[in-house]
Amino acid sequence: MAQILVVDDSSTVRDEVSGFLKSNGLEVVTAVDGKDGLAKLKADPSIKLVVADVNMPNMDGLTMVEKIRGELANSRIHLIMLTTESSPNMKERGKAAGVKGWIVKPFKGAAVLETFKKLVA
Amino acid sequence: MSVNDKLVSKILVLDDSAEHASRIKAFCDDNNLVALKVRKGAVMSVLRTNIDLGGILYSEDYGGSQEESARIALEIHGARPELPIILRRDALANLAGLSEGGADLYCAAYVASDMDALRKVIDEFIFCLTYPNALLRGISELTESVLAGQFKTLRISVHTPYIVHDRVIFGELLSLIQLESAWCRGYMMLQTEEGPLLDLIGRESAGGTGSNFRGVNDLLSEITNLIWGSFKNRYIGDGKCSSGPQVQVPLVINHKHKYISFGTENPQLCFRYTLTDEGTGRSLTLYERFIFNLNWSPDEFSEVTHDVADLVDSGELELF
Repeated sequence: MAQILVVDDSSTVRDEVSGFLKSNGLEVVTAVDGKDGLAKLKADPSIKLVVADVNMPNMDGLTMVEKIRGELANSRIHLIMLTTESSPNMKERGKAAGVKGWIVKPFKGAAVLETFKKLVA
Repeated sequence: MSVNDKLVSKILVLDDSAEHASRIKAFCDDNNLVALKVRKGAVMSVLRTNIDLGGILYSEDYGGSQEESARIALEIHGARPELPIILRRDALANLAGLSEGGADLYCAAYVASDMDALRKVIDEFIFCLTYPNALLRGISELTESVLAGQFKTLRISVHTPYIVHDRVIFGELLSLIQLESAWCRGYMMLQTEEGPLLDLIGRESAGGTGSNFRGVNDLLSEITNLIWGSFKNRYIGDGKCSSGPQVQVPLVINHKHKYISFGTENPQLCFRYTLTDEGTGRSLTLYERFIFNLNWSPDEFSEVTHDVADLVDSGELELF
């Protein structure tokens, strides 16, 4: 039963983010791309927050977000992108898809921990 | 960090003439060429190890005679056909009179009495692409920032960027990622050595015995991703690619010869970084190369402008 799903094709990022969050008392599960992320989400309804990369193979992060809100009809889960992308158009697409927040890599755990904890409380 | 605005290129000088040595050296100093000399008999071994050459300045009587010079040139050309060889001749500033096969070995000729003509040859065959200074500075800055973020305890040294015509792969690790914009299409390539990288990050943290190489593969992948992302944010943004058919050409890698071709004679824009653990003295060299093999339009280069009000520091959460 996880609180947070971290979706990134890079194991370096998955290990870094999930490791930090777990060391701060949060329960985390990871996925390697958007397709895997959707499968993990369907398998664990306790997840309250998804932290996802944009540029991933098989299914990118924004397509995954659109499917979460659309096909899965999940409007309660919080969606935050953790990505190298910072273009306004990309952010607008994310916002339109239902993304709640945007972090441009690299991940700085201390900067976001309290907000993440509030989102899964 | 110290980055000169002017690009340099390493050039192998194979010219025995004591009479012209100082003139050639002065020419190299004045034209951003880093001259490398090598003792006789070591040319081929140097070529096997030196991967960052922009070209070769060669003399018609290198090795003691024209016949020996031609023999050595043939051997050099056979080993490194992508390197432009510029021939210094005594009388003719062209390739006339050379044997039919001989003329094919060289890209151009010059005479020592006309170094202005040599400058034109250098511009045509070595510095054949121009790169905006803002791009050179920017690439160094953003890459250094990425590396510093990933390797927080290491000292990062940034070397002057340079032009390479080599197609030799350095080290065992290589990443490639496409760059697409209205002013450039091509690839960014990172190259490094597995052993030093493992030593720097700790072999255990890379995943344990047997899975070490996957750990460093992934690390290089993420570094590539971060650099690419910064490059895209700074120089591409939401801009569309150049109009016209989006052509592709095959990339060819020959592992046996550590050779990669992008299907073009265009040079590679190369940046070198040294990462050093000052505690242990261990270091790592990372090569970053840009190959604009599909489109290069520096006149259309620009940096993405951002509203200051919209800027959010990397790592900070921007809530919508």
